Amino acid sequence: MLSLMILIPLACLLLISFLPLKGKRVAFAVVMALAFFQIYAVFSPSIMANRHLPGLASVFNFTLAVDSLSRIMLLCIGIVIFIALLAAGPFVKEEDKRFYFSGLMILELMGLNGVVMVRDIFSMYVFWEVAAAASFVLIALEKKRDPLEGAFKYLIFSSVATVFVLSAIAIILLISGSTSFTDIRVALLVTPHSNLIILAVGVFLAGLFMKAGVMPFHGYLPDAYASAPAPVSILLAGVVTKTLGVYTAMRIVIDIFGFSTALKSILLCIGLISAIFGALAAMGQKDLKRLLAYSSISQVGYIFLGFGCGTPLGIAAAIFHIFNHTVFKSLLFVNAAAVEDRLGTLDMGRMSGLASRMPITGTTSVLASLSLSGVPPLAGFWSKLFIILALWQSGLYGVAVTAVLTSLLTLAYMLLLQRRVFFGTPEKNMAGVVEAGFNLTLPAVILAILIAGVGLFFPYVVHTVIFPVVSF
Amino acid sequence: MTNLFLPLLIFGPLLAGCLVVLVPQRVRFLKEALVLAVTAADLVLCLRLFPEEMTLFYPWGAYGIDFSLRLYRFSAFILAAAGGFAFLIALYSCVFMFAKEKGRLFFALFLFSLSLVNGAVLSDNLIVLLFFWEGLLLTVFGLIAIGGKTAFKTAVKALVIVGVADLCMMIGIALVGHLSGTFAISKIQLSLGGLGSLAFVLMMIGAISKAGSMPFHTWIPDASIDAPLPFMAFLPAALEKLLGIYLLARICLDLFKLVPESGLSMALMIIGSVTILLAVMMALIQKNYKRLLSYHAISQVGYMILGIGTAVPIGIVGGLFHMINHAMYKSCLFLTSGAVERQSGTTDLERLGGLAGKMPVTFLCFFIAAAAISGVPPFNGFFSKELIYDGALERGLVFYLAAILGSFLTAASFLKLGHAAYLGPKSEATQKAKEAPVIMLIPMIVIAAGCVYFGLQRSFPIGQLVQPAIENHLEGQDFSSLLPNKKLVAVTAIMLLMALVNHILGAKMKGSGLKAVDYIHDAPVLSGLYEKAERRCFDPYEWGRVFMKGFSYLLWRLDRGIDWVYNAGLPGCARALSNTLSRWHSGSYVTYLGWSLGGLLVLVIFLLSTRSF
Repeated sequence: MLSLMILIPLACLLLISFLPLKGKRVAFAVVMALAFFQIYAVFSPSIMANRHLPGLASVFNFTLAVDSLSRIMLLCIGIVIFIALLAAGPFVKEEDKRFYFSGLMILELMGLNGVVMVRDIFSMYVFWEVAAAASFVLIALEKKRDPLEGAFKYLIFSSVATVFVLSAIAIILLISGSTSFTDIRVALLVTPHSNLIILAVGVFLAGLFMKAGVMPFHGYLPDAYASAPAPVSILLAGVVTKTLGVYTAMRIVIDIFGFSTALKSILLCIGLISAIFGALAAMGQKDLKRLLAYSSISQVGYIFLGFGCGTPLGIAAAIFHIFNHTVFKSLLFVNAAAVEDRLGTLDMGRMSGLASRMPITGTTSVLASLSLSGVPPLAGFWSKLFIILALWQSGLYGVAVTAVLTSLLTLAYMLLLQRRVFFGTPEKNMAGVVEAGFNLTLPAVILAILIAGVGLFFPYVVHTVIFPVVSF
Repeated sequence: MTNLFLPLLIFGPLLAGCLVVLVPQRVRFLKEALVLAVTAADLVLCLRLFPEEMTLFYPWGAYGIDFSLRLYRFSAFILAAAGGFAFLIALYSCVFMFAKEKGRLFFALFLFSLSLVNGAVLSDNLIVLLFFWEGLLLTVFGLIAIGGKTAFKTAVKALVIVGVADLCMMIGIALVGHLSGTFAISKIQLSLGGLGSLAFVLMMIGAISKAGSMPFHTWIPDASIDAPLPFMAFLPAALEKLLGIYLLARICLDLFKLVPESGLSMALMIIGSVTILLAVMMALIQKNYKRLLSYHAISQVGYMILGIGTAVPIGIVGGLFHMINHAMYKSCLFLTSGAVERQSGTTDLERLGGLAGKMPVTFLCFFIAAAAISGVPPFNGFFSKELIYDGALERGLVFYLAAILGSFLTAASFLKLGHAAYLGPKSEATQKAKEAPVIMLIPMIVIAAGCVYFGLQRSFPIGQLVQPAIENHLEGQDFSSLLPNKKLVAVTAIMLLMALVNHILGAKMKGSGLKAVDYIHDAPVLSGLYEKAERRCFDPYEWGRVFMKGFSYLLWRLDRGIDWVYNAGLPGCARALSNTLSRWHSGSYVTYLGWSLGGLLVLVIFLLSTRSF
């Protein structure tokens, strides 16, 4: 029944495309329904059951599978699509654009779902490209100079990544003669020291790192995040880069390459560089969304640090941090959207004391910032703690200590953000500002509740959702 | 059952003190009645228990800290004396502190102090002793602080000085406990040498500082001006001397065995002699009744320390006899100063004069006490001093000379005091003075009578009070009816006469009793030293303050430095790094692609070099 997760979005896409003009109004509702369905499906055993629809096998020949890791990603995708859609209200106003926007969202959803579930390397590439293509267009939804430039940058870099990944896949195909994960794994084990294979692995990883936007492969990412329309930023930061880059890397390493010392050191090294320099770069930003973009880079670094341990605890910590990052970074982008909507700018130099003008936005952003900085008992604290514990357990004491110190930098730039934007007394130019509309405060509140809830009910969450990841 | 009286001595005054605090300020006589009743009961109980020997033991904490009390001849003697002074001074205070704003607090703290003194004297465990000992520090602080405007500063000074000394004692106690393996005082028997000597010195510092010896004395003259007067008569003059000398004797005789040949005995004698001389030199030039007395309170401690420090039986007996004598005449003297202050409104000697006719009973008490402190026969001070002289001479001529010179100066300064306050022409302040109220006179008369009695019947205090307390250390000698050494008495008499002649000549030359000894004040080298001493240049507390100021400035700089690192240094580094990173992110495709390809290259080379993935 897993194929439903791809087929239903596909059907919906066709449906709204062929409906007459008035269908444009329902397009939004259809996407919303899809998002709800996705969240429901993650918790429904019958849909998650690894069973083919009768009669489909001949036409729809993908190897699909889910494990706890994929389910958490599916959940993240559902949540973020829902949030982005809610937040789109004030930013995508024209009927036409709404229609395109909805269609692209469905395409994105389908592509991401596919990447998460497929278990053969070529189909993975196909869905990867579907999601990437949907993203370019979404960034460029507003035909202005900045979004176009951001989209173009994203396009260029995506193509380079595609070239990397595709050549790697070609080499692997040459050697193994098959595209399914299990076959490749077996084939690679036979000749582990072949230079060609090693080259393929390096190139493959480089392509995934580019998608994930870790340093030094990150150049395009701040521009893309910052120039995209608010809902698209939420989508990109929340799930697109995480799925296409981080999750895929995890999947490939776990299922195909396996953890070797060299791979672990690469992952840890990349993670450490991204975590530190991402945070440092975030401190110097003047634009709210760019700051959040660099913070994303830094947090992805943390995810790689956890993952790079290669231990069950490390992997669990990494996936937990992906989930938490999705929640708090989406929330911060929603807050940024609210500020942008009311002020018409993202320049932090022109903001002051907004918390008194926009209490809900202010409060929820404080919660998100604290979670991001790893302040107990919020959700972000636990995942960061797990990452650091995993590093310590693996005997990487220096890295663990550096990770702790880097979270001070995180706290520093988040406090800088809060102080410039929300704290203090508002200046005169803030006089007319009022709280953002319902469709920006509702997602903020939902996400804030998630942050606090996951943090407070952490023992329950960790035992039912996170630890099962480890027992794959 | 009778040994339950021991905790009663501690908790009775404590509870009564709490009750006194509860009495509303408006209700008169009740708190006074309560204080009198409690102190009287305390005195009666102490006298009733005097011949008994009893112990009380409750296991308390771990590590050998047990609540154990022990009453024997020595502690019973101190307890009875403390009870007596407490009762008499309470009686005096009822008038002196009557309707004063802080009266309630004074009486409460007074009772707390009595409770703590009783506890400290009774305790047979060093930790318990320390508890009561340090508690006394707080009541002293409180009693000084309820005085005048500048009292708080003085209270802090007292707290710091005595606190430092108590800290030494605390370390000393820890050392003693470590060396002997027990905190039970009656079981400890340590030898001097090495750590033992260190422990002895540390505990000795605690003891002599409580007694008010140099160099831990500087708060006493200040307190004499600031604190309520009965406090001076009660604690620094009487109870703290009793307590400090009691502990010193216990340390020297029981905990350690101080022998005459040891360097520590020499050290004690030097401290004693120096204290005698320096303090009396300061007393000589004072122009305030109370301040002058307070310096004598320090100087006389020197005699006791000298006596005990000689480590010969005669000296020890003399020291302890001097302790009780001093407590008597010094509290009597303070009480007379209180009476003068109350009746004439001042204790400034320049504004006093001719009070002998106005306040004859006070003058008589003053005369007896002053004669006693100067060592005039047949008052009690004479006999205790003679014993100490004997002991000092046995150990070295120089100590004897210091002691006898101290006596000369003491006599001179009391001649000056008596002359300036009670004789001579009447001043504006003393013109309308009347005799003090009877209730204030009673304590003075009783104590003055005690001075006479202890002098005439010295076999009673020496034989019944002092000698039984230290009977193990007497080596079978009995000093109760020993006649003083005739040669020494002759020297003393000559000294006293010289002091009288000196005073008469000086007074004639300068024209007033107050200025009779000014020639010492104005002597070439001394005048400079005196001036510096008056400016507190020799006050260790002031040195400490200067040092602490410098030290705290240093710390402040250090703190600023660390602060700078966190507030400016590290953020500066972060900002610089951050700006550099921003500069690198120029938005150029080529740069970004270059980074990516560079990353790819490094990745592949690394993987190829490790020959595995």
